[in-house]
Amino acid sequence: MTFLLFTQILAIAAVVFSLSAFAFRLRKFTQLAVPRDRSPLKGDPQAGINYALTLGMLPWAKESTRRHAVAYLRGVGFHLVVFLVLFLFLASPWLGSIPGAFRTILTIICCIGSILALWGFLARFIDHGLKVLSTPDDYFAVILVSIFLASAAAMLVDSAFLPFFYLASALTFIYMPLGKIRHCIYFAFSRIFFGRFFGRRAVLPHNQQNKVTA
Amino acid sequence: MSSKTETALEILEKQLNQPLVAALEVCARCGICTEACHYYQAEPVEAHMPSLRAEQLRQVYRSRHDWLGRLFPAWVNAEALTDEKLAALSEMAFTRCSLCARCTINCPMGVDTPLLMSTLRAMATATGNAPEVLEMLADAAIEKGRDTSIYLDFFRESIKDMEKELQELTGNPLATIPVQKKGARKLYVALAGAHTILPAAAIFDAVHEDWTLSIYEAANYGVFLNDVTRAKAICKRIVDEARELGVQEIIVSECGHAYYTLRWVAPNWFGDEFPFKVTSIVEAIAGYLDRGLLSLDPTANPEAITYHDSCNLGRKGGVLEEPRQIMKAATTGFRELTPTREEAYCCGGGSGLVANPDVFDLRMLAGKPKVEQVTRSGASIVVAACENCRLQLGELSQHFGAGFGVTAIADLVVKAMRLPGARDTVEAQMTSATEPAVK
Repeated sequence: MTFLLFTQILAIAAVVFSLSAFAFRLRKFTQLAVPRDRSPLKGDPQAGINYALTLGMLPWAKESTRRHAVAYLRGVGFHLVVFLVLFLFLASPWLGSIPGAFRTILTIICCIGSILALWGFLARFIDHGLKVLSTPDDYFAVILVSIFLASAAAMLVDSAFLPFFYLASALTFIYMPLGKIRHCIYFAFSRIFFGRFFGRRAVLPHNQQNKVTA
Repeated sequence: MSSKTETALEILEKQLNQPLVAALEVCARCGICTEACHYYQAEPVEAHMPSLRAEQLRQVYRSRHDWLGRLFPAWVNAEALTDEKLAALSEMAFTRCSLCARCTINCPMGVDTPLLMSTLRAMATATGNAPEVLEMLADAAIEKGRDTSIYLDFFRESIKDMEKELQELTGNPLATIPVQKKGARKLYVALAGAHTILPAAAIFDAVHEDWTLSIYEAANYGVFLNDVTRAKAICKRIVDEARELGVQEIIVSECGHAYYTLRWVAPNWFGDEFPFKVTSIVEAIAGYLDRGLLSLDPTANPEAITYHDSCNLGRKGGVLEEPRQIMKAATTGFRELTPTREEAYCCGGGSGLVANPDVFDLRMLAGKPKVEQVTRSGASIVVAACENCRLQLGELSQHFGAGFGVTAIADLVVKAMRLPGARDTVEAQMTSATEPAVK
């Protein structure tokens, strides 16, 4: 068995573990009650949900993200690259068929993603507020993903780095459902609850009709 | 594990539903919400970071529901609940968070931190860690609802006296304040004291509203404790009264939490849809203006006036445009605070903090950003449609020597109605507007 094959098998096993663990978590989560809201509507909950999942995430939609625009955009950029690299993981067996110029662009994007992740890691050391909030899990998760993204950039440059990419992927997939990275599966739920709450009250989105006549 | 801790954990486990677990799990500890908190704005220290406050409950949750938290607690900052920790968490939930949801609006994930703090309040209340004064006020309201005969005659008499004042104010010798009138269309639920009854009565009289006054007060201290049994019992008095009288609508006086509770929360407690609508007096007045039933003279209020959004009424209640519609119709010097509407700063007096004398200093500190906002706006009068906000704003103005007055929307409207018996100055009305909510 070659080292590449070994790491491929390891990565696939890690994916299976990750998906199973996430499925287990999701099953447990969806078994929990969702409180029914009987209060009459003032606004449209669906409009609130749509807003929460789209325009409500734009950097200028909230005071906090306007204030922390750079940190927020760093986070958004970092997460987008993570999704790209997850796709690259799936596409990795066909890596050779990616055209050279496109490959270069992908490499640059992965490098940027890795730098953004590293920036997030350092920010947790430098920024006092973040330092206070951070747990070892936070540091480990962000450095792990940083390595994951960097290994993607490396394997795009030279396929000799593929085993390292698979190793980094395996570690990331194993850690995903265990540590803080698992927040990804709760994100949509949290935004939906948020949107529903403020949507049914006609607070968000802003252009909702907001009138009750006596 | 002590019985207190066990009870607190039982409450936590019982409350674990999808929204709560999402709020516990989704935080990425990015800290972007930090400055959204008015406590942090006033005093930028760790203890006032919303995410760090919420983290205290997450520690307990992780020690029970997180694989790594159980095996390697230090790795994910998991911590088992102890009596000491419970006491500290209780103190935090009742004093360092006014459940205003400004952090939620500002969180990229939409983390419902007030839900986490409310859960802590429920845990604290069940274990005797809640502020005594809130429990006393809630229990007194429940007791009052059990036997109305104790005070009903006195209440009717004082309303009769108030009627004379109303007739003087409106110049209408036939103006009345009907109490428990069967078949009335609307049931108005006031707060303790004439100041929330008279202005509303004058407005109802002017629009010929078919209304009646509730014998109960709108305030609900059970909600602040997050004690559903108490909160529901307090609400039930009003819900039963409305059902018995056959009203089509309950109009809640200018009280943020009372409106929020009756309008948005209570329907979920009683298991069926209410056969009546619940609105705020602010919405009612806006409706009268819409229908041309109320004519106002904005020159009656020429001062530089601003509007403070009560969190329960505005951000959490959806009453954002109506007060502005009224302000524009009733004043000439209206200006907005910045930020405003759903991004408005909490005044720091909500969620029962105003009723707790032990937290005065912290309450004044938490209100500092609001005072600065008002000062920047150049307003000499702040209008608030919530009794607790008005009390807090009045105290803030005094405490910081800011010199702004505080009044209620209904008072402002009555002044703009140019009634024959109206007092001349808003300042005179401000005295009544800042009377304590609970006597």
